[in-house]
Amino acid sequence: MMKTRYWKVIRDLTSDYAKSSMLILAIAIGVFGIGTILGSYSVIKREMAVNYLGTNPASATLEIEGSLPQGLTDSVKKIDGIKEAERHATVVARMKVEERWYPILLFVVDDYHHKRTNKWTPVSGDSIPSTGSMLVEQTALVVMQAKQGDEILIKTSNGVARKIKVSGTVHDPGLAPAWQEQSGYGYISLSTLHALGESQGFDQLRILVNEKDQFSREYIKDKATSVAHYLKTLGYAVHEIQVPPAGKHPHQSQMSTVMSIFIVFSFMILILSSILVSTSMAMIMVKQIRQIGVMKTIGANSMQVTGMYLLMIVLLCMAALILAIPLSRLAAVAFYNQLAVLLNLEIRNTAIPYWVPLLQVGSGMGIPLVAAAVPVIRGSRISVKNALDNYGVALQAMNDPSVIVRFASLNFLNETFRLSIRNAFRQRSRLALTLGLLAAGGAMFMTALNVSEAWEDNLKRIYLQRLYDLEVRFTDPVRTDTIVQKLKKLPGVKAVEAWDYAATAISTTHSTEITATYPDKGHGSFTMLALPVGTPLLNLTLTEGRWLNDPSARDVVLNQSAKGLFKMGDRISLSIEGIRSEWKVIGFTEDVGSHATAYVSIHVFSQLVNTPGKAKMLRIAYDDRSKKNAIIRNQEVEALLEKEHISVASTIPVWLLRNAVASHMKVLVNSLLAMAIMMALVGTLGLMSTMSMSVFERTREIGVMRAIGATPVKIRNLIVWEGLLIGGFSIGIAFILSLLLSSYMGKTIGNMAFRTPLSLTVSFVGLVIWIIVIVLGSWLATLFPARRAGKITIREALAYE
Amino acid sequence: MNHSATKPLVELSHVTKTFPTASGMFSALKKVSLTIPKGQLVSITGKSGSGKSTLLNIIAGIDKPTEGGVRINGIQVDKLSESALAAWRGKNIGVVFQFFQLLPTLTILENTMLPMDFCDSYPKKERRDRALLLLDQVKIKEQADKLPSALSGGQQQRAAIARALANDPPLIIADEPTGNLDSQTATSIFELFAELTRTGKTVIIVTHERDFFSYFENTFVITDGILTNEPLNA
Repeated sequence: MMKTRYWKVIRDLTSDYAKSSMLILAIAIGVFGIGTILGSYSVIKREMAVNYLGTNPASATLEIEGSLPQGLTDSVKKIDGIKEAERHATVVARMKVEERWYPILLFVVDDYHHKRTNKWTPVSGDSIPSTGSMLVEQTALVVMQAKQGDEILIKTSNGVARKIKVSGTVHDPGLAPAWQEQSGYGYISLSTLHALGESQGFDQLRILVNEKDQFSREYIKDKATSVAHYLKTLGYAVHEIQVPPAGKHPHQSQMSTVMSIFIVFSFMILILSSILVSTSMAMIMVKQIRQIGVMKTIGANSMQVTGMYLLMIVLLCMAALILAIPLSRLAAVAFYNQLAVLLNLEIRNTAIPYWVPLLQVGSGMGIPLVAAAVPVIRGSRISVKNALDNYGVALQAMNDPSVIVRFASLNFLNETFRLSIRNAFRQRSRLALTLGLLAAGGAMFMTALNVSEAWEDNLKRIYLQRLYDLEVRFTDPVRTDTIVQKLKKLPGVKAVEAWDYAATAISTTHSTEITATYPDKGHGSFTMLALPVGTPLLNLTLTEGRWLNDPSARDVVLNQSAKGLFKMGDRISLSIEGIRSEWKVIGFTEDVGSHATAYVSIHVFSQLVNTPGKAKMLRIAYDDRSKKNAIIRNQEVEALLEKEHISVASTIPVWLLRNAVASHMKVLVNSLLAMAIMMALVGTLGLMSTMSMSVFERTREIGVMRAIGATPVKIRNLIVWEGLLIGGFSIGIAFILSLLLSSYMGKTIGNMAFRTPLSLTVSFVGLVIWIIVIVLGSWLATLFPARRAGKITIREALAYE
Repeated sequence: MNHSATKPLVELSHVTKTFPTASGMFSALKKVSLTIPKGQLVSITGKSGSGKSTLLNIIAGIDKPTEGGVRINGIQVDKLSESALAAWRGKNIGVVFQFFQLLPTLTILENTMLPMDFCDSYPKKERRDRALLLLDQVKIKEQADKLPSALSGGQQQRAAIARALANDPPLIIADEPTGNLDSQTATSIFELFAELTRTGKTVIIVTHERDFFSYFENTFVITDGILTNEPLNA
């Protein structure tokens, strides 16, 4: 049979459904957040590793001049520590979708029957493409606006446009989703590449080191260098070794950072919920102080009383856990599915690890218990006499700080409002907790909107920093003087400049340069961008030093991704196309959406690579920068280049770059917003709890006020004003906190998405929404207590014991 | 009645109680000494603020004297620690309040069982039967499963008396137990207290109501913290 005292605990909880439900909801929100984030994170982290490692990602890729012959891989495999070797080629081509050219990466596979590295999973159709057909990564179908069986017009830089049939689809988790990169992904055979008019062979050698050392980047570098030496002895020039972070998905570290922030936020929600539990338990203790006195009079000791109220918290927590754990599992499934789409993963094992619900139970019980322990223990240890003599608010609590007294004495203020000010400051520790709750909720809410707005601003910065609308890349250097003049004559073209570029690397002791580039050639890459020093087409944000001004100086400006440990005035050695060169660092920039880039003078660059008067890149600006105009103008530019028989490797409109960046992280910004709403909810619940407590404590006082003539309306107004005042104070604190938090969040998210921190932006919409939420929330939170206060009869209040 | 033959249950010697106030120290009790034998129904009376509730609190172990000693049933109560005092109080003192102070979310039966639970004084299986027996004794057995709010004031006070008897304490203390009841109900409550003394309980009641003084074997009058006559009916 259950002990009688436990019946009291249960009855107390069930006798005030509204209060208990509010507390359960508050704890449940925190536990839900933790479960959702940790559940999805644990699955994504595991599946990311399983998916990525399951592809047998090449430990290193060696870029070679010329073609590698069949049979070479067998001899490479004999080198100590090399487990697999495979010939490969990656070609950047263009595809025509709805009369527009988009980039497509063509992966040329040597042996479809015995694929050794960077494997994929067949999804539909053929698993081996015949000549004239290709397999397509499933996420690329949307970008290509195609389905299996369709034919896509593809043009390589040296070839002619030819239709290639989509004969099958695959899933390649080693690649970012195509819609994110705004690029197509196709897998073809060498014969198809030749059919497209290209004569090149396999110019990449992918190697896989032995399993026990597959996660040691130093070991991989060492082995790749050995292979490079070996190839050189055979007469092959290796101009680049690409060693991406070992065993890590291209987005793994970014995902970990974002999820870490979310986990911190989830715990913050639970901590704030626990503060709410703490304030509510303090309220229950105040409410039941006389009952505690009675229980102690009839024989209860402090331990027994403490146990009863702690049990109350445990029961609330259990109810919250029962509610939150299953819901959080559902939400985790939805969230990890979203993340899987974002990361191009296939969730093979959907099981959420057992430690997630265990942690939910531990934190969902532990944190509220710890938070509520202080008011519970304090309330339980009260002496019988003090408990029986308790009449509500202590006199010493009325010693207002002089500033409050002075403010509350201002004659022009309404009498009710003045009293509300004093009342708000009567219980300062509780006021601090409520303010803390609301301020934290508001800070997170405004942070989410600030970050969201900063995100949009940064997307705009893509246009503001890039004062051109189209980037055209050629496979080989072309003479640019004539074509630049012809392009300038096209209608709507404002400016055309010839630029150049090359993959580069910081020179090390290795004879061949080692980069961190992933097979998609984007992630981890480092580019040297050569441009006219006084170009009006670039408006980058200089963070230190100065921009290039001497066309013949070996000066370099590094962007934030390339900055590394360099400082102003350093002399650095960069390698391009196998040539090492010394450069002086004269400045650092912060450019939105660029991979690691070193900006140098095109004059010096062309001398270095011996291509005077030639370039591999054009940047074109239009009078009208709208996407609609850019699409039309781009087609005209493409047509002219085709007419002039200039083979184009790729064209990247700036709007396409903007879309690619925008789609990377938007879901995470939205998730941040969802968390902010949860925080706002917990904050409002906190205010509601405080106001109820405040009214309850002053039952007798309200009775006295009623007895001396205060009308119910006046009493109600007093309570509502008090709530609004507390809400109002919290806005100021929340705003200051939001600035600090926005700065941190903007830095983290910006670095992940744009490779540069988001600027600190204050969203006035966010501030206004929060003010409305607080005013409405405060009003709603005080509505019930105010009504209750207004309804207390004089007799009831004065008889209150 | 021959009280000299009865062993004293309550012995207070030179009890002084002072409280700090904004205007200095206030003496609520000044060198109060009294003895109350077992099995008596006695009252403490005095004007408001005279110190009678303080005296009652000190006898009940709710408050401790600043000076002097309190001996109840042979135990030097003022020397007990807070936790020992709680255990002692639960088993030795039954307290009845003016406003009944029944726990509102427990039924009358559960309210009566609660002291047995806190003091672990009766085996679990026997508690319900004992509580029902006590409720029968105070004539509200049929109300056992109701919540306090469903009962009249008199019934609630009877329930409070049943609760005070739960651990079979030798001493029952009641602070203005009829202050909130009509005279007919108050009479029935006093009769109940008188009946308890016949079963060997000692009952101390703080009251103003002179109409019921005839029930008391002794009445202590306290004025400004000083016991002015000890005892009135001795």
